[in-house]
Amino acid sequence: MWFFVIGDLWIFACYFACYMRDRARNPELFQQGQELLSQGIGALNTVILLTSSLFVALCVQATRAKDIAVASRFLALGSACGAAFMLIKAGEWYLKIHAGFPESTDPFFIYYFMLTGLHMVHVALGLVILALLWRELRGAKEPRAQFAETCATYWHMVDSLWIAIFALVYLVR
Amino acid sequence: MSESVWAGRAGTPRSAGAEARLARNPKLDQWICYWSIPFFYTLFGLIFVLFGRIMPPPSPTASIEDVLEYMQAPKLGVGMALLSLTLGLASLSSGVIVVQMKRMEGISPVLPYAYLTALAVAGVPGCLFPGFVFALGNFRPEYSAQIQQMLYDLGFLSFVGSLGCFVIQYLVFAIAIFLDRRMIFPKWLGYLTIWALVTELVAIPIWITRTGPFAWDGLLSFYLGTVLFVGWEFCMCVCLYRAIKNQPVEELIGRAAAHGE
Repeated sequence: MWFFVIGDLWIFACYFACYMRDRARNPELFQQGQELLSQGIGALNTVILLTSSLFVALCVQATRAKDIAVASRFLALGSACGAAFMLIKAGEWYLKIHAGFPESTDPFFIYYFMLTGLHMVHVALGLVILALLWRELRGAKEPRAQFAETCATYWHMVDSLWIAIFALVYLVR
Repeated sequence: MSESVWAGRAGTPRSAGAEARLARNPKLDQWICYWSIPFFYTLFGLIFVLFGRIMPPPSPTASIEDVLEYMQAPKLGVGMALLSLTLGLASLSSGVIVVQMKRMEGISPVLPYAYLTALAVAGVPGCLFPGFVFALGNFRPEYSAQIQQMLYDLGFLSFVGSLGCFVIQYLVFAIAIFLDRRMIFPKWLGYLTIWALVTELVAIPIWITRTGPFAWDGLLSFYLGTVLFVGWEFCMCVCLYRAIKNQPVEELIGRAAAHGE
């Protein structure tokens, strides 16, 4: 999994580098676009995702301690936060599209939709991975702590990517 | 699939000579298919880079003079004719990949077929259709400038915009690798496949943007995806080589003999 995480971070680093390069070329346009985003929704989503990471970390701890009931409870909470993140993000997209923001020639909004969209794909994949962990916790006689750690590694990567996207797309002025 | 060829022959009485040949080199068919892959991609590269000049792609904002010059280069027509001849070679590589996928244990038997079909479906807009579109523009230079422009746009939108069609093929392959208990392909190839999948998704905005990194000649939508694809294909070749090499010979001969009884 670390192999995957490092490679994935590299690919996102390429996206971020391109974003910063284009932003430096056309600061006013990006500034205007950024002002149309809702920092409140972004911050809320950041908190939700950070909370889900906390739950997943607690789940790993409980799995190590072989306390499966507690581990599955934390896992359910973590997954629920992940699902909430996706719902809020979808709502935010809906509002943006409804307001007519994605003008085809506006590079900022193409970046906005692509970066957050790719991140959403990662969150969706993360939920599948958490579901596999759920199956392991509920189904296996002796749930493997290492498996839980691997799943959590991926989930924390998704979280850290979001923090970078939130900082670059919503906050940087 | 190769097994079924042997098995089919095994149904009829076989001479001792044929038996001996099969015993000597039971993987001959797979190796022939395997070595068609580098041959195919070399031809492919020559056609796309030298003849078609499709890679690296010219700009979506090229002036009409540039578009006409591009579409009427004699090399383009020759390249596209060659393309129609060579694309069929892809079936050999898909065949040998599916043979190896069918050896996997713990995966759904649907996956190798899904892989094969997804690849066949994606190959049409990703390769054959743009080839025909370019060849059409090249065939009749009297078409008005606007029609030539349309063929140019359609060719490139189909060529780069079809990257999304390959997503399912990658997904099926990655899932098969992760579920496989025999480890026919290494897990890291599965991860690499997921990256290839994600970078192909980035080609979606080429339909709405003409400039910048998400245009059809863009840094992110074209170059990043292409670099990852070339890397993936290379790793795929290495892993496929090992998979065929590590396949126990008894698996092939045993099966053929079992069918012969």
